Amino acid sequence: MSSLGQPIPHESATGHVTGTAPYIDDLVPRTDELLVGFAGSPVASGTITRINLAAAKETPGVVAVLTASDIPGKKIIGPLFQDEPVLAEREVLYVGQPVVIIAAKTRVALEAGIEAVSIDVAERTPVLSIDQALAAKRFIGPERQIRRGDTASALAASPHHLQGVFHSKGQDQFYLESQAAIAYPAEEGQLVLHSSTQSTTEVQRRVAEALGLGMHEVVCICKRMGGAFGGKESQATLPAIFVALVAHHTGRSARIVYNKDIDMQSTGKRHAYRTEWEVGFDEKGQILAYRAQFHSDGGAAADLSTSIMQRTLLHAENSYFIPNIDVCGQVCFTNNPPNTAFRGFGGPQAMAVIENVMQEIATHRRLDGLDVRRRNLYGGEGRETTPYGQKLGTNHLPEIVSQLAESCDYRKRYAQLESTNAADRLRLHGLALVPVKFGISFTTKFLNQANALVNLYTDGTVQVSTGGTEMGQGLHTKIRQLVADAFGLATDQVRVMPTSTEKNNNTSPTAASAGTDLNGAAALDACAKIKQRLAGFAAGQFASSRVASTDSGLQQSSELIVFDDGAVYDSRRPDERIAFGQLCDAARRERIDLGARGFHKTPGIDFDRETGRGTPFEYFTQGAAVAEVNIDRFTGELIVPRVDLLIDIGRSLNPGIDMGQITGGFVQGMGWVTAESLEYNDHGLLQSHSPTTYKIPSVTDVPGHFHCQMFANDDDSNNLGVENVGRAKAVGEPPLMHALCVWAAVKQALDSLTPGASSDLRLPATGEEILRCITKATKGSPR
Amino acid sequence: MPTRDHLQIWINGHRHEVRGDDMFLSLSDFLRDRLRLVGTKIVCSEGDCGACSVLLGRPKSNRLEYQAIDACIAFLFQLDGTHVVTVEGLSGGQLTPVQQAMVDCHGSQCGFCTPGFVVAMHGHCEQMSSGERTNRDEPNWRQALTGNLCRCTGYSPILEAAERAQAAGCPSVAERYPPAPLLAEIANSATDELEMASGRRKVYGPTVRSDAVKFLVENPGATIVAGATDLGVQMNKRHIAPTDFLLLNRLLEFRKVEVNDQGEEGRVLMAGAMATWADLETVLCKELPQFSEILSRFGSPQIRHMGTLGGNIINASPIADSLPVLHVLEAHLGIEGPEGSRRVNINDFYQDYKQFDLAPGELLAQIAMPLPREDEWLRLYKITRRRDLDISTFTAAIRMRRDRDRISEARIAYGAVGPIVLRLPQTEEFLIGKTFTEETMRLAGDMAATEITPISDVRGSADYRRQLAKNVLLKFYHEEHPSLVVV
Repeated sequence: MSSLGQPIPHESATGHVTGTAPYIDDLVPRTDELLVGFAGSPVASGTITRINLAAAKETPGVVAVLTASDIPGKKIIGPLFQDEPVLAEREVLYVGQPVVIIAAKTRVALEAGIEAVSIDVAERTPVLSIDQALAAKRFIGPERQIRRGDTASALAASPHHLQGVFHSKGQDQFYLESQAAIAYPAEEGQLVLHSSTQSTTEVQRRVAEALGLGMHEVVCICKRMGGAFGGKESQATLPAIFVALVAHHTGRSARIVYNKDIDMQSTGKRHAYRTEWEVGFDEKGQILAYRAQFHSDGGAAADLSTSIMQRTLLHAENSYFIPNIDVCGQVCFTNNPPNTAFRGFGGPQAMAVIENVMQEIATHRRLDGLDVRRRNLYGGEGRETTPYGQKLGTNHLPEIVSQLAESCDYRKRYAQLESTNAADRLRLHGLALVPVKFGISFTTKFLNQANALVNLYTDGTVQVSTGGTEMGQGLHTKIRQLVADAFGLATDQVRVMPTSTEKNNNTSPTAASAGTDLNGAAALDACAKIKQRLAGFAAGQFASSRVASTDSGLQQSSELIVFDDGAVYDSRRPDERIAFGQLCDAARRERIDLGARGFHKTPGIDFDRETGRGTPFEYFTQGAAVAEVNIDRFTGELIVPRVDLLIDIGRSLNPGIDMGQITGGFVQGMGWVTAESLEYNDHGLLQSHSPTTYKIPSVTDVPGHFHCQMFANDDDSNNLGVENVGRAKAVGEPPLMHALCVWAAVKQALDSLTPGASSDLRLPATGEEILRCITKATKGSPR
Repeated sequence: MPTRDHLQIWINGHRHEVRGDDMFLSLSDFLRDRLRLVGTKIVCSEGDCGACSVLLGRPKSNRLEYQAIDACIAFLFQLDGTHVVTVEGLSGGQLTPVQQAMVDCHGSQCGFCTPGFVVAMHGHCEQMSSGERTNRDEPNWRQALTGNLCRCTGYSPILEAAERAQAAGCPSVAERYPPAPLLAEIANSATDELEMASGRRKVYGPTVRSDAVKFLVENPGATIVAGATDLGVQMNKRHIAPTDFLLLNRLLEFRKVEVNDQGEEGRVLMAGAMATWADLETVLCKELPQFSEILSRFGSPQIRHMGTLGGNIINASPIADSLPVLHVLEAHLGIEGPEGSRRVNINDFYQDYKQFDLAPGELLAQIAMPLPREDEWLRLYKITRRRDLDISTFTAAIRMRRDRDRISEARIAYGAVGPIVLRLPQTEEFLIGKTFTEETMRLAGDMAATEITPISDVRGSADYRRQLAKNVLLKFYHEEHPSLVVV
């Protein structure tokens, strides 16, 4: 029986629960291994006047001390623009920016060596916020926009009008395994790297560039990551380069594992945004025109910020049809670590703004937020084209919203809110339903490709390798299922091998929720090639009656060969079977190639950044969620007692894994909208740099009633008319954005205190932020 | 009393003798670097994520009591005579029901936090099977797992796994490691005094309290080690690097908790300075549920299994969770020193930030907490950014007595709004004789805000803290008000 659609366990689950699944720092050290770390900039901005390395070099146990001048190749790198120094040479751009690499024999020696470095900097006034960047006109990349209709006129003509400035903070990825890499020298200057990275190719390429090697001299391997969430898409490169440099200079193997504090202080996060918005709408809350100007805190280098801003613009309208819309976005330069990818990739920040607007409209018109959202929801004649001109194709949003509102008893609960709030002297209650539509595909077209290598062995077992990396999301389990299903094998007959540039070259990062769509399709392409060969061979075998017990008389027909249940047969003679391993062995003897490389590129997508028009997405994952919240009127403390969620992810390849993505993404999103608050001091040093001070959700923050369901449908193709892998839809990022309903429910609760109480509520809605709104609205007296 | 210069620790059933610099390693470093038991993961090195959770077995009335602790902030020198079980040691080949349920319920995604969760779940099973916790429902599991962070799953699959494992019946650690031989081995050297040194560093673990005092007199700069839940963080983050350590965990009478009825003076809870939070919880849940409720949010199970009441008091942080309630209870501290013993009211103990009334050579031995009478109101508040495992942004204890509708006694203590925990004498004075109304409490709140000196820091702004200082008195009113409606 096929495992597709079955909740089979994660392929490494047994290793996880017994502690035997190794991560980078668990790999047995080679006897010559050095431990690597770095000394970073003490300030956010300035010019280095002197680096004193003498004490570090003399520290017992320190073996190598390297600076920018020791980089043999490119000193400036970056995934999109080459603007990020591997090591700061003259200018320092953020606190903690790596300046000096230290390699030592022991951890104690390494720490002593790092502390012995002194870096003198002539300090400059840093740019530490979007506001400061705007004042100083410090930007990264061009401003981009997406426009439809005549927004200015429509705004002017709208009977109702609101505007404001919305602020959302950044968020740390908080993967549990920090940035980590091991390098060891191979023959003739070649280098092997083990990296905790979402993109083996990115690491391979940047290491080769920094060392002045050909890419063919560098192999990068990733078995698994202890979480990534976007934080290891581009930013795994620096630590990998550091160990590569040490290996290059010392001829010894080298290991780096950031500690949590260094990781949080020196790596990029989800971008903070500042958005000016303006909306025109009618009596019923229908939006006639919407304008938004997004500014993000890009940090001190471009990293992926411009792509992230692109996705912001592509999600400005979330799930709503807005006839006149004008959104533009500009990345700002600041003296923070370069901000980077994080689940949602700019989408959440855009959707937070429009959901704030929805709630504002509802309060302004004294309407139920659900009615406002439904009135604006995509659907109906002429209302299914996005601002950038892509037809929505399959649109389940109206059904999903109706079904969810009904199943969670939204109307009845909403109707009770007023009396509940009037009666409860201690707590404020709120309720909100928020839909989510998220575009699937890299918005950079060329990244939408993948290759795979499938090798069969003569016992009928299979190894598959793709460029997709395993970070816990279950990609390898799904690929294992797909390949096993293709050959009619049990999943334990298939192994997904460590991701390595040696087997899969020029790969895209595992990101954009597209890991399975791309790598799964590539693996299936390879399987199809092998199956074609094997089917032809098997058909010949059956026809020549080598296995048939009676006179075959069958017309040879490879199309009728079936791979099922560990065996192969002609569908006309299902009782005459060859064991799969036996067939493989026989095929080899006939010199049939039992390996293949597969390739996949997403068809039909195209987008023009300049004009802001096109078809950037293969399809959209859609869903909705409802949150109920309780707020302590006196302290602002928040409890989320109930959440109901409904999401369309097509036919789930593995409901166990997919449900884990849903609950996990949602709770991570709850962290962003409620409790995770990055706090910096006036000098740009992150103060909340470990779990003591940076509070990701804990088990007791999970709603007591947390009901997540998958929307049942029989869609057989995506909106471009192409059948997706297993008819599944991507699940990785969208659940995070569903948590916006929690934030919206807080806003709704506050407005029940007095309309407009929440008008400047920021994100995250921490207890402090909520109490600020309560205090303002009640003039200091919460009752 | 025999004196020993090395440690004896049992790990996954095997005895290890540890000498030299290794005695000063954290347990997690020892496991990972020396024994290559790398299933124990390091994330934060500060006891705030639980990825390094291991089970610590300590002798307790003819058995070994296994509790989950954070290995990153436990030092080997604290662990003499204990049995440590790591994730590798939980099963003997076959998966335990906890492990199997975690596999089946998709309780792991990236897997990095998973060993810690598996260990913490086993720890909770141990507690349940020992009869200390009887509730068999999900909220209980939630409380049991607050010390473990997961960034992938949203916890739901883990909670599901926990319930499934519980239903399947988890075998106790004792089934895998028969306690009798281990206990016999441990008992052989349990009463040894420890005197260990390596290089510049030394550790002394006396078994008699007068020896502890003597050591302190001779080594005035020595660091006293109670549970090390804060010391471990300070050392890991290289904020301090002490060389002389005094261990109190071999002074067994320092761990005692009991309630005495002192006639006129009422009932008094007597706790040794080395009583862990877990020890206290078992008594407080009956005797002082308000404190017990705050304790349930103090740190995490892992922290509460190591951290001590005495450590919290002597660490002298203005945000220490136990201090406001001890202040309004007028708790007395029993102090031992070279001149004998003395008692001091905790309200007179603290002088300024981390400054307190303890002379060189003196040691906190015992805490006496007079329990409130039944006709008194006592409410405690711990305001945090996250409900569990979070250091307080603001803490408060409010205790009142009424004579009909008038307030006859009032004691208020606030934490995190000044260099030490503050009593609010003006506000207390103002309240006495007043009618208990919303207006009274509003005015009291306004006055309270003038008696504090909050600062802005990573946990909250001064304005937020000032507002909380006002509001908490109103909250108290509405919570105590008879016509209260809670929906």
